[in-house]
Amino acid sequence: MGAAVAQVTSLPPSGRDGLAGLLAERTVRSGREIGAGSGVLSGADLLPVLPALRDLLPDGALQRGSVVAAGSWSLLCLALAAGPVAAGAWCVAAGIPEFGVLAAADAGLDPARLLLIPDLGPNWPQAVASLLDGCDLVVLRPPNRPPAQARRKLEAAVRRHGAVLLVAGDWDGAQLRLRIAAQEWTGIGSGHGRLRGRRAQVVADGRGGWSRPQARWLWLPGPDGAVTAVAEEAGESSAAPGSGAEQAKIG
Amino acid sequence: MTGQPDRDRRVLAVRCPAWRPPSLVGAGPGARAFELVVSAVQEFCPRIEVLRPGICAFAVRGPARYFGGEAELGRKIAEAVTRLGLDCGVGIADGMFAALLASRDGLLTGPSDPVRIVPPGGTAAFLAPRAVTVLGEPDLADLLVRLGIRTLGEFAAVPAAEAGNRFGAHGLLAHRLARGLDPRPLSAGPPPADLSVQIEFDPPAEQSERVVFAAKSLAGQLHAQLAASGLACVRVEVEVICDNGEEITRLWRHDGLLSELAVAERVRWQLDGWRAGQPGGESGESGESSESGGDGCQAGGISLLRLVPDQLVQAQGRQLGLWGDAVVSDRVARAAVRIQAMLGHDAVRQPVLSGGRSPSDQAVLVPFGDTEAPGDSAASYQAGRPVDRPWPGRIPAPAPATVYPLPRPARVTDGSGSLVEVTGRGQLSGEPARLSVAAGAPVAVTAWTGPWPVTERWWDTEQACRKARFQLVTADGAAWLAVVQDGRWLIEASYD
Repeated sequence: MGAAVAQVTSLPPSGRDGLAGLLAERTVRSGREIGAGSGVLSGADLLPVLPALRDLLPDGALQRGSVVAAGSWSLLCLALAAGPVAAGAWCVAAGIPEFGVLAAADAGLDPARLLLIPDLGPNWPQAVASLLDGCDLVVLRPPNRPPAQARRKLEAAVRRHGAVLLVAGDWDGAQLRLRIAAQEWTGIGSGHGRLRGRRAQVVADGRGGWSRPQARWLWLPGPDGAVTAVAEEAGESSAAPGSGAEQAKIG
Repeated sequence: MTGQPDRDRRVLAVRCPAWRPPSLVGAGPGARAFELVVSAVQEFCPRIEVLRPGICAFAVRGPARYFGGEAELGRKIAEAVTRLGLDCGVGIADGMFAALLASRDGLLTGPSDPVRIVPPGGTAAFLAPRAVTVLGEPDLADLLVRLGIRTLGEFAAVPAAEAGNRFGAHGLLAHRLARGLDPRPLSAGPPPADLSVQIEFDPPAEQSERVVFAAKSLAGQLHAQLAASGLACVRVEVEVICDNGEEITRLWRHDGLLSELAVAERVRWQLDGWRAGQPGGESGESGESSESGGDGCQAGGISLLRLVPDQLVQAQGRQLGLWGDAVVSDRVARAAVRIQAMLGHDAVRQPVLSGGRSPSDQAVLVPFGDTEAPGDSAASYQAGRPVDRPWPGRIPAPAPATVYPLPRPARVTDGSGSLVEVTGRGQLSGEPARLSVAAGAPVAVTAWTGPWPVTERWWDTEQACRKARFQLVTADGAAWLAVVQDGRWLIEASYD
């Protein structure tokens, strides 16, 4: 018994050295307690995200108990959800009847760990609160702007259950906001080619960690549907395998 | 012929058309008759198989020896049922099919002589003069008659291999029946009606708490009964009857996994969902009840709670995949079921990828809980559209993140402002210059590609369609997947 305790307490110091690397392997638990409900949670206080998105998030991951607003419904929401699902979390997409399942699968979000609730009904805050109890990640497009009281209740539920509420829309109390600031499709011309990929500049800011907004260029999506970082300063055409020719035409 | 000794194939069938299925609760005489007949027959043999309402059967060998011969046993059963005031027919023969036909003969003769016995080995001769329609396969019977085969004897004379070649698996099964063989062995078991448990509330329970509390002990009783018979139920039906006669029935997935508390919790959700009376979200019977639930039953109370095990299977325990299986954790399942209780069974879906050309075809949404395992569901729901086929003409990757359940009407105009049209040969009337989605403001099209013509199901007059797809990029940076069908533009998806 005593030996076991000693072992556990000896773990964090060794983990702090290469935090970023170890976060990716989900071996590190941050010391911060989230709330009373965190005792039932498995794993760390952070949900890992796709490598391309790490630079945009304060801890290189989604903080459990936080609300993240990702602008309107887009592939960015899917990309944010893909990492946690790949790490074993369950994701539920609520209020999004037009959820593109194939795009999700291509972005790395396993449909086997996904629940869809196209219509939440009139009493949606209560339904979302129930969902936060069961799923680590709730992607929500609120049918309407929630009253401040309902909003605070949901935020409290997020903290209590240690879930992440990813809002496809705006949310007043969001810790982190992401948006697509600029975008450019490649591969398609006037009457020829086809959509091959989109270079999108994603900007993250919020109260949570950044002193000033962070911006990154991402393939959102890339030619195979995956979300990756655009290789910087490396000549943008070379970053798009197979689409260099068409890209030049569009400019 | 079957390798099974003939005496073991002897089957006694009791046919009693006045029966009603036990699910018709409250229909007093019918439901009671069912129980009465089953218990009357059970006096003679405890393990009977209820084939469908009105017919039950059991293997006759043991009881016949005990009761002094088949004729004696048949006569006694017929007497016992007739004493209940119900007409019945009793047939004894080799194999279920012949026994059922014999029992029908007995029923047609009337109460004076309701027992028909086909001697051992005489099944083929008994069946031979019957018309092929008795096989219960109207299509096959029709075909056989047109081929000049009118009786089972003539059908049986066809070599089995030829019957299989010509009529397929169904035909082969029917051919076995015609020859007096069993399509499947008799599976005797106690009747399912035995396993439901119920509790009555007198005075009627006004509050859910009392019902939920009772449900816990009731579930314990149900589980004990199931465990005693080595069975597990796939689903459990929770039936709540109000004192004004209203019924709220809902099936809950069980799979032998729910604890007593979990069953009680489901009863609570069912009651909560019903009391909340969410319009539009309910389904089936509960939807009807919720409409009237607002005024009628809420004031009254609940007079009866019944748990009925549905789809009994042998309890075999459960083996989860070693890894790689996306096991629905208890937490997730609880949340999902809870939402289903609030919004209805269809409200929570699990996506399954399937094959297809358009983005909306490439995923099937399955209500949560309708899937046994991810592998199973994939197989059964993709039966028509496997993923691993080429699907020529499918939209190339990347896939759109937004797939509209219903395509949105749109208008694509060329430089002169007239609608862009596509000819049958895939030629455009002009280059797309402006796009307006759902009667919104037109936005300039900066890049486009198409048309990609698709002719789907041209062999099927009902579902045949010809379309041409386009990808459009507008000045605001959005990319769209548009389709032209019957001269109309629709937006199927957008690459947000």
